Amino acid sequence: MSRKFILTLLLGSSLCATGCATTAKGVSASAMKSTAVATPYRAAVPEGTTLAVVRYPAHVDTDAQDAFYKAFGQNAVGGQMSRYDATSPEVQGLADSIILKSNYFALSLYKELAERLPEHSVLLSPHLIKKGADGKLTSEPMTQAESLANVVTVDFVSYTFPDSTKMMGKEPLTFGDLVTPLVTVKTDYRAAVPTQGLLLASRPLIPHAATNGKEGATETLAAMQSGRLAAPVPDLDFVAFLNGEAGFVVPQKPLARTGDVNAVRSYGLEKVKLDGAALNALKEGQSGVIDPLESTFSSAFANQIVGIINNTDTDIAAMAGRAAAISQFDESLGALTLVGSEDPAYATRLRYAERLLEAEKNYLSVQSLRLFDGVHNGEMGAQVRDMLKAEYDILEQRRSLARKQNTATALAILGAVAAGAAIANGGSSDRCEDSRTQREYNDCRRRAERTDYGNSVLTNLAIQGAIVAAQEAMATNRRSKAVGGNYLASIAPALEEQQTVQVSLIDSNETITAIRFEDLKEKLQTLYTKNQRSLDTVATRCAYNHDGAVKIGTWMGVCDGGLASGSGVGVLRNADGTSIEYYGYAQNGRPSGPGYMIHHDADQSYAVEGNFSAGLANGVMRVSKSGQADVLRNYQAGQDIGAASSLEAVSSPFNGPVNMTAIN
Amino acid sequence: MRNWPVITLTSLSLAVLMVMPAAAQMAEKSVVQDLPDVAPSQDYCISVMSAFPNGDSVARYQFFKLTEKMAVGSTPEFKAALKHYGDGDVPPETPVIKIIEAIANPVMRQAAPELTIAYMGHLVNFAGRCETYIQGQVNSLLAYDAAFANDDSVISEDALYLRQILSDSLLRLKADKDERYSFAVNNYATSLVAMRDDIEFAAYAKDIDEIEALYMTDLDGRLARSNDMINSEMNRETLGDAVSLSDDMNKQAKKQADRDAIGTLLRILNRY
Repeated sequence: MSRKFILTLLLGSSLCATGCATTAKGVSASAMKSTAVATPYRAAVPEGTTLAVVRYPAHVDTDAQDAFYKAFGQNAVGGQMSRYDATSPEVQGLADSIILKSNYFALSLYKELAERLPEHSVLLSPHLIKKGADGKLTSEPMTQAESLANVVTVDFVSYTFPDSTKMMGKEPLTFGDLVTPLVTVKTDYRAAVPTQGLLLASRPLIPHAATNGKEGATETLAAMQSGRLAAPVPDLDFVAFLNGEAGFVVPQKPLARTGDVNAVRSYGLEKVKLDGAALNALKEGQSGVIDPLESTFSSAFANQIVGIINNTDTDIAAMAGRAAAISQFDESLGALTLVGSEDPAYATRLRYAERLLEAEKNYLSVQSLRLFDGVHNGEMGAQVRDMLKAEYDILEQRRSLARKQNTATALAILGAVAAGAAIANGGSSDRCEDSRTQREYNDCRRRAERTDYGNSVLTNLAIQGAIVAAQEAMATNRRSKAVGGNYLASIAPALEEQQTVQVSLIDSNETITAIRFEDLKEKLQTLYTKNQRSLDTVATRCAYNHDGAVKIGTWMGVCDGGLASGSGVGVLRNADGTSIEYYGYAQNGRPSGPGYMIHHDADQSYAVEGNFSAGLANGVMRVSKSGQADVLRNYQAGQDIGAASSLEAVSSPFNGPVNMTAIN
Repeated sequence: MRNWPVITLTSLSLAVLMVMPAAAQMAEKSVVQDLPDVAPSQDYCISVMSAFPNGDSVARYQFFKLTEKMAVGSTPEFKAALKHYGDGDVPPETPVIKIIEAIANPVMRQAAPELTIAYMGHLVNFAGRCETYIQGQVNSLLAYDAAFANDDSVISEDALYLRQILSDSLLRLKADKDERYSFAVNNYATSLVAMRDDIEFAAYAKDIDEIEALYMTDLDGRLARSNDMINSEMNRETLGDAVSLSDDMNKQAKKQADRDAIGTLLRILNRY
């Protein structure tokens, strides 16, 4: 009896281990959807500025593949791994499918944004993942989409947990009718100083995306310190995550909270279930016009992005990128565009420069449109849709097997419970030793033997039934895993071919575009130069003395006698790694007049905007710090002397050119 | 592109002096010129319009458009200055070609800037008072042939040239020093700079438009062809093969699992 009891316990515990299989349900309505409000685009941007650039991993360089597979396993999102073998075809299939699916589903977002934003204002920027000299992964854009100023960049990855045995679990998955989006939405760090430019992001990516933003700021400052206006293109935030370095802490707030607090809106992990009707329509062959991600995710996410653009100071977001782009063909104008100039010829010249940038932007948008067309409407798109159908079938098989497994598990549990009950109730409760006569004793023994025999038969039957059911449950579980594993192992050649075609397509598009783009730029430059008149006030490089301290920084803008004097940007980097950048007006090398000063400390960045005198904040200043809404404070000679009324006006260098004599 | 000689204003011959209305003619003041802009006279407008080219639609469009552009930004104060410094009125039926030739004539603007001002005043006055009629003519001619608008940028340049002559004539008569009219005259002179900027920018933008359209069309075609070529090279069977292989492996796995299950089951049951 004790052996049976132990067996029952073992059976029960094995059932617990096998457990009830999950059926990878996903959510039919993304959190993006429930928190998005569809508002029309109402912002305005200077000409030649892109509103949104959709960035995604398009390919992994051959030299970087091993490092990518390894990093993919070492830095997983959303669960614990039971096993990981970076060399197994299943794992590599999962990793490769992330790239392939990101390529495909990013187009859904691009399409939705293009529908909502003005023509030629959304660009695609596929990235190539490479291995850097330091062995870390890095990514670089495969096209020139990020060479122009933009208001926001959107990183998109469709993610899958790197453990092929957990496809049916709670872990993130992009397979069949399930997609797990990992996203970040960023603007230029100057337009969202406290969060390093990060506005909305998938929760696991936030610290890494913030680090990425901070590194971009550091790189920009280094370039400015040496007299160059640069707009470096950061790695994909997903790549920064894969590198697994310590993240930079920035405050977060729920996705639904869109208020004024300077924090990143955090988007939780979710497996979004694709539109079932759309998937069925794919099977019916209407594939070209079907977008199964649209109704469940992309449309809502695009609404979120339009809302973000509407609420972003587009002039500040685009100013540095625009200045850097203009500097490439008119160095004397570039830095002046940051806050403007009163020189009458400036406005005229800027108009010419902006029209030139507009032509470049329009031209690059053709490339994005053709990339979309080539991939989505081409053979690769058709194959991905075929793959989605095949995966959906696989997933449905596994769901069916999971349901069978659950039935078998339930039967096994019932059997185990019955056996346990029989054992618990087994034997007579009578104590025959207490009989008063021999007859009573004999009757008692006979009764006990009959009961024991009956219970023994019942218990054996229950245990055997439970074992059979458990065996079925475990076999079904193995079969389910085999279905997924076999698919992942056999799909590798198809993934490889699709990636090859994808890269050929992007490369070909870029080669054709780049050759013609250079030619176009040359023609535009000639036209621009031919039509220009001289500027009385030009941007040059000179000393920026900040607050009169010994250290000297760099000023790019209007100079007089080797010192900052007029509009421009000043940057000062300290030995301890902290730095200050200042956009606005200066006199005698120091901030003087309306200005926007950004402080980069080790653990935070913050901004102060208002009037400056002899390098110091003086008057009503708007202070932007992390984790709180912007506040107005009164400053005197650089000292905060208390709160200011919200009705008081704040001097801003971005409200149009200021006459320097008025500052004097 | 254009078939009327109005654009070659600088090449006008001195012969135009021969057809100029005599100073005596202009000395006769016209009462209609004194009417405010808000009260257009149908007879006056029709009378002046009859002096525009009639047999050639292109020329008719060009002259109406030119007149329209010459009057842009003319304030009442400026019109008063024109009236003050202009020498006499121009009869409404004077052919517009003759008026423009007279304005552009270098000898006349040197010798008698008052006459140049009077001619310009005539056109500015007409454009202001008969704006609706002019706009109607322009619109109907454009409806007839939208290609007429192709000449707009050149017409703008001609208008600027004529306006510059007017501004120079006023300066020659020292209207810019006149306390009563200096503000309007100087404003007019300044506005010419902005107008020149606009015209130059429009020409630049047009050049860029052309380059942009050319390159974008070319790029679009090239990329479309490249996409087609790459897509046609893709082997669509690879995915099908992979799925078939996966199916076969699954069937094999199922058979094996069933066999293992039966074996295990027998072993389990034999123990009891």
